[in-house]
Amino acid sequence: MQFRQIVGLVLLAALACTTYSCTVVSSKDEFYGSTVPPKQNIFRYVTGDEPATLDPVISNGQPEARIYMALYEGLVEYNPKTLAPEPALAERWDINNDSSELTFYLRHNGRWSNGDPIDANDFVYSIRRALAKETASRNLSLTLAIKYSQAYNEQQVFVRDPQTGQFLLAKDFDEHLPPQPLSSSPIDAAKSEYASATTHPDTAFHQQMHSPLRLTLPGSEKARTKLLDANAKLKAAVAGKEFVTVKAEDIGVEAVDNYTLRISLGQPAAYFLGVLAHQVFRLTPRRVIEKYGDFWTRPEHIVTCGPFKLKTWVPYDKLILERDPMYWDAANVKLDELHFYPITDLTTMMNLYKVGEIDAVYNRGVPNPWLPVLHSKKDYMDAPEAAIDYLIMNVTKPPLTDARVRKAFNLSIDKNAWAAWRRVVKPLTAFTPEGIFPGYPQPKGPAFNPPEARRLLGEAGYPVTQNSDGSFSCPKFPADQVEYMYNTQGSNRAMAEWMQAQWKQNLGITVPLRNLEWKTYLEARAKLDFKGFTRGAWGADYMDPFTFLCVFYTGGENGTGWEDPKYIAMLDEANRTLDHAKRYELLAKAEAYLLDAQPIIPIATTSVNWMKKPYVKGLYPNPGSLYPWKYVYIERDQAKWDFSTPNLAE
Amino acid sequence: MLRFIVRRLLVTIPTILVVITITWALVKLAPGNFYSGEKRLSAAIEKNIREKYGLDKPWYQQYGKTVWSIVGHFDFGTSLRFEGQSVNTIIWRSLPVSASIGILAYILALIVGITAGSIAALKQNSKWDYGSMALAMLGISIPNFVLGPILVLIFSIGLYWFPPSRWGGFPSRSLVLPVLTLSAIYMAYIARLTRAGMLEVLRSDYIRTARAKGLSEKDVVIRHALRGGLMPVISFTGPALAFLLTGTVVVERIFALPGLGNYFIQAALNRDEPLIIGIVAFIALTLLTMNLLVDIAYAFLDPRVRYQ
Repeated sequence: MQFRQIVGLVLLAALACTTYSCTVVSSKDEFYGSTVPPKQNIFRYVTGDEPATLDPVISNGQPEARIYMALYEGLVEYNPKTLAPEPALAERWDINNDSSELTFYLRHNGRWSNGDPIDANDFVYSIRRALAKETASRNLSLTLAIKYSQAYNEQQVFVRDPQTGQFLLAKDFDEHLPPQPLSSSPIDAAKSEYASATTHPDTAFHQQMHSPLRLTLPGSEKARTKLLDANAKLKAAVAGKEFVTVKAEDIGVEAVDNYTLRISLGQPAAYFLGVLAHQVFRLTPRRVIEKYGDFWTRPEHIVTCGPFKLKTWVPYDKLILERDPMYWDAANVKLDELHFYPITDLTTMMNLYKVGEIDAVYNRGVPNPWLPVLHSKKDYMDAPEAAIDYLIMNVTKPPLTDARVRKAFNLSIDKNAWAAWRRVVKPLTAFTPEGIFPGYPQPKGPAFNPPEARRLLGEAGYPVTQNSDGSFSCPKFPADQVEYMYNTQGSNRAMAEWMQAQWKQNLGITVPLRNLEWKTYLEARAKLDFKGFTRGAWGADYMDPFTFLCVFYTGGENGTGWEDPKYIAMLDEANRTLDHAKRYELLAKAEAYLLDAQPIIPIATTSVNWMKKPYVKGLYPNPGSLYPWKYVYIERDQAKWDFSTPNLAE
Repeated sequence: MLRFIVRRLLVTIPTILVVITITWALVKLAPGNFYSGEKRLSAAIEKNIREKYGLDKPWYQQYGKTVWSIVGHFDFGTSLRFEGQSVNTIIWRSLPVSASIGILAYILALIVGITAGSIAALKQNSKWDYGSMALAMLGISIPNFVLGPILVLIFSIGLYWFPPSRWGGFPSRSLVLPVLTLSAIYMAYIARLTRAGMLEVLRSDYIRTARAKGLSEKDVVIRHALRGGLMPVISFTGPALAFLLTGTVVVERIFALPGLGNYFIQAALNRDEPLIIGIVAFIALTLLTMNLLVDIAYAFLDPRVRYQ
């Protein structure tokens, strides 16, 4: 065979492959690939990466959250369409008038997968465990609204007078302390704390909770001495007193009786009921954990309480769950089995979907280059996600220390054009996702305005001049003091180049790009070890705007270096507000304040962007991509299939 | 021979120790940690995690604990990323997956490679020679991350013959595409090595002697030429088989197989220190063992090779 013939053959083969691949991808079918339902009553799904653990308290990942929703249940469960909390192991509940105390009435037929009954003491154990330092839960921040939870986790101490047995109170040493919530105020027998007529039994623990917030000090002597040395009044008050370590029994969780659970919060938190559906509040089995320690989640030991229980677990291969006959609502669980496959490679996942080996793919699972073809398919799920993409600016390093410069960079990005190009995102000018929180008066940030951006830059001392060819330049701007840092993954590079082009085009500034490996990138971002810009993303932990606004609440951990006590006070005020509409207004005011300070550049509200076979019913593209699995079923009657994204409003 | 084996085995221990130390140091020096994610954890949570896993201890204590548990108890510890899963269990669970794919791929590569290489050598400069060598060149040139998706595209997405990915157990149809993908490059190497080895041997004096003795061409080729011609293939087999047994990152990723290679890459990306060290040490041990076996095999195949 001659060399030329060989080359010819190779080229021919390559051409055949390319043509073939094009025909495969651009198929004109209304659905993507096979629509033959599985023979058995099972649902096969790729949830993302291999779960870090089957202990719901520890991991904070979304892939894990979906698995936990099958295996475990908490007091409340997400609504499949809206994610609003619905009764689960708690049949009903009462919330006191300032949302600082919640009383739950548990169903009497709750059962663990081994048949043991579930009662309020299980919840007390589970919540205390989630808060324990040794558990090292990644979700700790979601639990800290519970009274004394932070003090317990950080092993702080109360200060008690050995003579009188009285504890020192926080309000006596902190004039900025907000007014005491109802949960920390003396119980007024004449006035009900609750709007509902139900009588709530009083207990010694309840009385103790309803006393003013106690003072807590660091547990370590070194830290305590340092604090006391800096505060003479406190030091004098503490002299001669004894330190009592905050114990698990001190935190605001109480089993009033076997089927009544009361949770006392340290501050009013209207959003807290929604948080209780989160994985960290799902029930974990005391007996098994005490017996097997860290190994309790092994298939041979694990005991669960959700609609499904573990059948087989081969890490990095499959996690098979089967319907749990002990589950209180087993009669309404429609699937026999749930198969989770841990896959992160999007192409591999989409291939499995096309050939019908899986019935749905996880959110953001459709690769960008495939969207032009798949976006119009009837099994493509298009709905807004409770998540945003934004740019983080390091406000601690010049020239971004100047808010005018930060504003100029924001104004010179055409977010509408970005959204149109990306197809699956909506342009965003605020820090909360658009269209996710009904009734929330979301503030609007400024629109794309390059002339104003150039004016602001000029005002900041970096005049932008127009060249003869119409382009701009900003010679005084120290472009070497900024960069755009991103991690090499997905569409991050495309996004970085897009932003770079926008700034070059509208401001005449070329921001250098710097890409890093994922963990290296996270480290650099956490330590503010970058100059200029980096990408950021945030998804809701619960359905309330505060889940976004709280990113800048704790300070120092938001990646920008920006923190402002005024902003924190505004959020505190909003959360203390009992009227729902008024609270939303105050939150929106705080958001507007944040947008004006401009430590971030909002870019887009993301889309759920996933696919499911038309025969899969009861699975909705809700904004958190969290699915209560008991509603999911396989519909074999083609007339009842979904021929578009299911409507979330119906 | 026995002295040689004992000496080699003794050298293995310090080698593994050096490997563990270097890996440990590299993991410690790499920026980032196993618990970081898009949502940054609060300082209090990070502190709890560091205390729970002993990462707050001085480096020499951490190093000492790691080395002692490996050398003293052959225990690689518990994975950081996968709560409550021991590294030993992970290795023993994922090894059969990698090994079955690897061994099958190597057997296929040996059969096809040796046959193609021998034919090419025996019919040098014929269309058989050019054809098989061109295919071998293609096999070497096309990386498996290209070949794998092409095979998936044709045989799974197009023809629906084989599953596009996932582990279906042993034996199953799910093995076909990963084995083909993995074996391609080895097939090509073996074909080229066999051809080169055979050509050299066919021109040597002892083959001429064998022919002069009046042996049939079949006997000459099989009993004499092939035995000598396969020497390069044998030395290639040691490291190749070691890598195949311990998992191939790319193929396991493309086909979503729960093998050692997949764990290895994930462990490195996740900064899962015990898992990285465990897998590296295991691969090093396998590699050393395979090389030793190859050296022993050499002695049997080639009477001129003797170890003192």
